Amino acid sequence: MMNNQSQSRPACAARGLCCGRGKQTLSEGFWRSNPIAVQMLGICSALAVTNRLENSLVMGLALIFVCIGSNLFVSLLRNITPRKVRMIAEVTIIATFVIVFDQLLKAFYWDMSKQLGPYVGLIITNCIIMGRAEAFALQNPPLLSIVDGLANGLGYAVVLAIIGFFRELLGTGRVLFFERLGLHIDLSGWYTSNQLMILAPGAFIALGFLIALYNHARGPESEEIKS
Amino acid sequence: MVYLLSILVLAGLLAGLAILLSLAESYLLDYGICTIDINSGERPIQVEGGQTLLSSLYSNQIFIPSACGGKGSCGHCKITVTSGGGPVLPTEKPYLSRQEVRSDVRLACQVKVRQDISVRIPEEFLNIKLFTATVETTRELTYDIKEIKLSLNEPSEISYLPGQYVQVEAPLPEGPVFRAYSISSATSASNIVELVVRLVPGGIASTYLHNLSVGDEVIFTGPYGQFRLNEDPSVELVCIGGGCGMAPMRNIIYSLYEKWPSRSCRLFFGCRTRRDIFYLEQFKQLQQKFPAFEVVYALSEAHGDKQWDGERGFIHLAVDKYLEPGPKRQAFLCGPPLMIKAVTTVLKEKGVDPEDIFYDEF
Amino acid sequence: MTETPALIIFIAAIFTNNILLTNFLGMCSFVACSRQLDAAIGLGTAVTFVLSCTTALNYVLYHYLLVPLGLEFLTFVVFIAVIAAFVHFVEMFVERFSPKLYFTLGIFLPLITVNCAILGASLFMIIRNYTFWQSVGFGVGGGVGWALAIVLIAGLRQKMNYSNIPQPFQGVAVTMIITGVMAMTFMGFAGMVSIQ
Repeated sequence: MMNNQSQSRPACAARGLCCGRGKQTLSEGFWRSNPIAVQMLGICSALAVTNRLENSLVMGLALIFVCIGSNLFVSLLRNITPRKVRMIAEVTIIATFVIVFDQLLKAFYWDMSKQLGPYVGLIITNCIIMGRAEAFALQNPPLLSIVDGLANGLGYAVVLAIIGFFRELLGTGRVLFFERLGLHIDLSGWYTSNQLMILAPGAFIALGFLIALYNHARGPESEEIKS
Repeated sequence: MVYLLSILVLAGLLAGLAILLSLAESYLLDYGICTIDINSGERPIQVEGGQTLLSSLYSNQIFIPSACGGKGSCGHCKITVTSGGGPVLPTEKPYLSRQEVRSDVRLACQVKVRQDISVRIPEEFLNIKLFTATVETTRELTYDIKEIKLSLNEPSEISYLPGQYVQVEAPLPEGPVFRAYSISSATSASNIVELVVRLVPGGIASTYLHNLSVGDEVIFTGPYGQFRLNEDPSVELVCIGGGCGMAPMRNIIYSLYEKWPSRSCRLFFGCRTRRDIFYLEQFKQLQQKFPAFEVVYALSEAHGDKQWDGERGFIHLAVDKYLEPGPKRQAFLCGPPLMIKAVTTVLKEKGVDPEDIFYDEF
Repeated sequence: MTETPALIIFIAAIFTNNILLTNFLGMCSFVACSRQLDAAIGLGTAVTFVLSCTTALNYVLYHYLLVPLGLEFLTFVVFIAVIAAFVHFVEMFVERFSPKLYFTLGIFLPLITVNCAILGASLFMIIRNYTFWQSVGFGVGGGVGWALAIVLIAGLRQKMNYSNIPQPFQGVAVTMIITGVMAMTFMGFAGMVSIQ
């Protein structure tokens, strides 16, 4: 009955693999709807693993992997999943990918696995992945869902990396990950490490300031995002 | 070997949990048989507890209007629950005014029948029936709008007022859903019902209706709708619509002119481009037959269309342009919420009493 | 650690190792629902109940089913399934016996399933190798600690409604900062009980 705003879309193939929305999805997931700063999801792990840059990077990678994987499969199966078992199916798919990543991590990087502890497993309950599966992958074609998974994963990873970098730098005066790469930053000459930064309170405060910075950068449009 | 074991354990665990849950459900959520007392003893009915009031009533052939099919997103299923309904739910609050809450008005699709309950249902709801019909013809009006003519089987006649709608049942594997569609045929034709359906991408009912062929059976309930055409022939009727809103207006206009051939009536219709227009020729013919009828079409996205000689822009602007303040009027609006809001403002400026402005909300 | 009495673990989980303020678990629903005090109290109670029971259940399942069969890699899936089923059961139970509470909690009840705190507590219990009673103590303590944190923050947020907060900080940002300060104050409990 209503005057519907959407016009009939030409076939996907005619507008490129991503239905012409690839770029928009990418920017949407990464900046405009950044999972942490805007959607406020996935904060648990954002705080827990960012005490070191290296941990943040591995966790970011984990999330990108799981998000892309789960988005892809949920999207592939979206037309044959009955409504009642939808949630259970999603959780199972997500859990599978998390288990895969966890096992790989245990096999190839045991130290990191010990450091990250249960937080890899907690990716299952990470609202970002479940949220994207429900809100996006269920209604969109597979390739576009991959882009969305990548965008959200990257948005999350970048935020984590920034927080991790500053927490480690201000907390210990050194950044171990960079040292692996050969870059040496050592502030211990003139800077007394603020241990608080690598402890729990530092995480909360760092995240709070980062979100404030993001809101400031978004400018007046961030008015609507206020919780 | 480990994989086999893991699959077995997982399957066993999930099965075990499912069994436990369904046992718990049947024990905990078993409310027994409850009585619904309607309008103080006229027709008390026995239903199985645990279902919503709406579905309990439906299974007893009492069809409360519901555009959203019981999901709690339309607010049409309001009835008075005098006792046994429990506290007002947060899902109902957005649709109930304070006055309504005080007078025990509830949303039937949100109230669960857990105990004996008594309700008050208006007579017109009790008169709503379930109809089975066969598709007689289907006609394409535009690239995405179809006109479907249904001939009634059982009951074989329907009596309705112009502007009313029916709820068509669209079958789904997990249970049917009902969607509202206005009746577009004139009320004098009591053994047929014509619907105008736009194909909404992903829409359950519109896809179902568009895929029907001649001879298919359709089930619907009705008639619903609070619009009452003002019987005073000196009151001018103004119909303003967008998109599929033409359907009820055709019904109203045809019925009006069958009764009052010289009554003044104005139709304003807005769509986006030329290919969204339908019934243009029919209304132009009507205009020639009944000089007191005026029709104005406006296209909002016809920038490149040089041949269009009608109005351009949104429909409320056309209303503003052509409608002079003055005569007593009744207005019927049908279209998207934004259009309704804009048009209502213009109408109020032209002196139309808000009581006389009517619109369907779906 | 295996020698620590369950009661000590219980107290530690509330104060020195608060599940939210130290281990960051349960933040998502915390941010979304900590605006009003009574919602926070209701949610806290529900989470405590679910946490306590699921840690106990998961302990049993892990040590008597998964470990003997060598299926530890199924831990995540099994735990989540149990949690989801249990929350569903609690929903039905509450709906039947206390409709009022059911309506108050509304949508928050099913949201408990994806609360990282529940799964996290079970996983921590495995990693730290607790015995059964230690796990129960940890579960109950974790729930109470989470409830405590969320109620405190809700109270603070309600008060902040009347403060002049700079534009970029409004909303989540300032909540994070005050949570950080609260975490700092909880650090003052360190040494009260020695555990980790």
